[in-house]
Amino acid sequence: MIDYSQLLHYCSIAFAVGVNSVGVGIGEGRASVAALKAINQQPSAQNAIGKVAIIGTALIETSAVLGLFTAIILFRNPLPETNALYVAIAEVGCALAIGLSGFIVGIVSSFPTEQSCYSIARQPFFSNKILNLTLLTQSIIQSPLIFSFLVLLFIKTQAATITTLADSVRYLSSGLCIGLGSIGPAIGLAIFAKNACKSIGINRHVYGKILTFSIISLAIIETPIIFALLISLVLAIISIPTTNMITTIAAMLAAGICMGLGTLFPGISSGKVASKACIQIAYRPDAHPIVSRVSMLAQGLIDTCAIYALLISLMIAILR
Amino acid sequence: MKPIEIFKYTNWKPFEYLGIHGNFYSIHAETIISTWVVLGIILVAAIVSRHFLKKQVGVGNYLVVSFGQTFIDLCNQILGNFKYKYFAFITSIFCFILLCNCISLIPWLDEPTQDLNTTVAMGIIAIAYTHIQSVKVHGLWEYIKEYFSPFILMFPLNIVGKLANVVSISFRLFGNIFGGAIISQIYHNAVEGSILLESIGILSTLDITVKVFFGLFEGFIQAFVFSMLTLTYLSVAIQKDTVEKGNV
Repeated sequence: MIDYSQLLHYCSIAFAVGVNSVGVGIGEGRASVAALKAINQQPSAQNAIGKVAIIGTALIETSAVLGLFTAIILFRNPLPETNALYVAIAEVGCALAIGLSGFIVGIVSSFPTEQSCYSIARQPFFSNKILNLTLLTQSIIQSPLIFSFLVLLFIKTQAATITTLADSVRYLSSGLCIGLGSIGPAIGLAIFAKNACKSIGINRHVYGKILTFSIISLAIIETPIIFALLISLVLAIISIPTTNMITTIAAMLAAGICMGLGTLFPGISSGKVASKACIQIAYRPDAHPIVSRVSMLAQGLIDTCAIYALLISLMIAILR
Repeated sequence: MKPIEIFKYTNWKPFEYLGIHGNFYSIHAETIISTWVVLGIILVAAIVSRHFLKKQVGVGNYLVVSFGQTFIDLCNQILGNFKYKYFAFITSIFCFILLCNCISLIPWLDEPTQDLNTTVAMGIIAIAYTHIQSVKVHGLWEYIKEYFSPFILMFPLNIVGKLANVVSISFRLFGNIFGGAIISQIYHNAVEGSILLESIGILSTLDITVKVFFGLFEGFIQAFVFSMLTLTYLSVAIQKDTVEKGNV
């Protein structure tokens, strides 16, 4: 006879730290390979390239550290005697939240480090400014991870009060929502950050323009994750009726998956638009005002799709 | 390891003896105290920098002037033309949010921005200001007509789009600062009570790194993002469609 609650409990602990480590491993490998190739191109800049690669890998490792934190938190709080299976299902939600976002962030946060190594190989005397930009963009890429960790703690602190199956599915769906929801925007943020580092390698005189443009663009690309965070918090907080169990479970899962999938492609395409604008600014610095304005307008229109998903999820979760 | 407290506010109910009850009238004590400390710091800094500006020489004068010059350049870059009132609005928002995010470096104080009430209030102020300026620049009729463009069926979606601006700008600040605060709290709960772990944390500078990264660095980035997004919304709201008029 298998005790399913213990099985789920230990599987979610292993998932949280294992999947994150896979992502971080791939990311660090990519960053190191890029650093070696860049040193091969420009051997005299090896100190600067080495510095960027070491700081970059330290930042990539954030997701592995947060996965470890999650595993420790789950491990130190054993399952209660009563309703153990329901609490275990909520813990699967925790593991999905940190696992999905940590896997993706671990892989994609290597993109800016990679590209800035090549940029330093092209512009060896400009390495400090490139390092600044890499540090800034890469620490903004970590924000999906911080949001996921926040939702996880919400779920974990409230999980002890679960009494019904519908409640536990509500928490599972909340974790799934932020986990799925951070995939697309994280990829978009990374594509943009990569091209921002590349554009300074092309033309170093646009550093000031690219810096402000990249901060604003990263903030706009991030918008879908904030909608996913909102839905996750709403799902973790609302109280649900005890009647109509099956309908409630279906509604909760639908709300989470709707918002999670709704952010996928708006995030990626918004990142692609802004990255093309970045390259154009590097080639033609005098067209900076019109290029940045058109790019922000397009990003605003792309975010409309995420707003539709937000509306429908709110309607499913609250009105039913 | 101690359990993590997520909502740890003490509620003040100042209107209770007037006969007004209800959760809406309760005040989060920590948030209010930290906000007033921030306002006090801003007041002192303003008086000191005024004193520096009078002297016309020295390090302090250089710092104040270069701080102002940075923001003047940013306004020029994004808005296209410089106006003193936009510069003053953006700079004061930036100073307030930056100090709110960094206030946890002082012991016994919490960031006011980890309370959702503060961030939503700041978001509403920022977005409402852009709408007021849009009305002032374009006139009321043009402003209302914008909601029915490109065709009349888009009216509800335009309303939702404007509301989503407030949600996104305030939840971005809240999520980042709250997440950072909770992560540093988890670190402190983990090392608390064990002399070995605490001394390892201090000697390996992990202690300072966590504080500085989430307090200063993340706080600075988020304050900058908030003010730059406000400036961007402002520039979209007050721009005139010169291209269309040129064609006619």
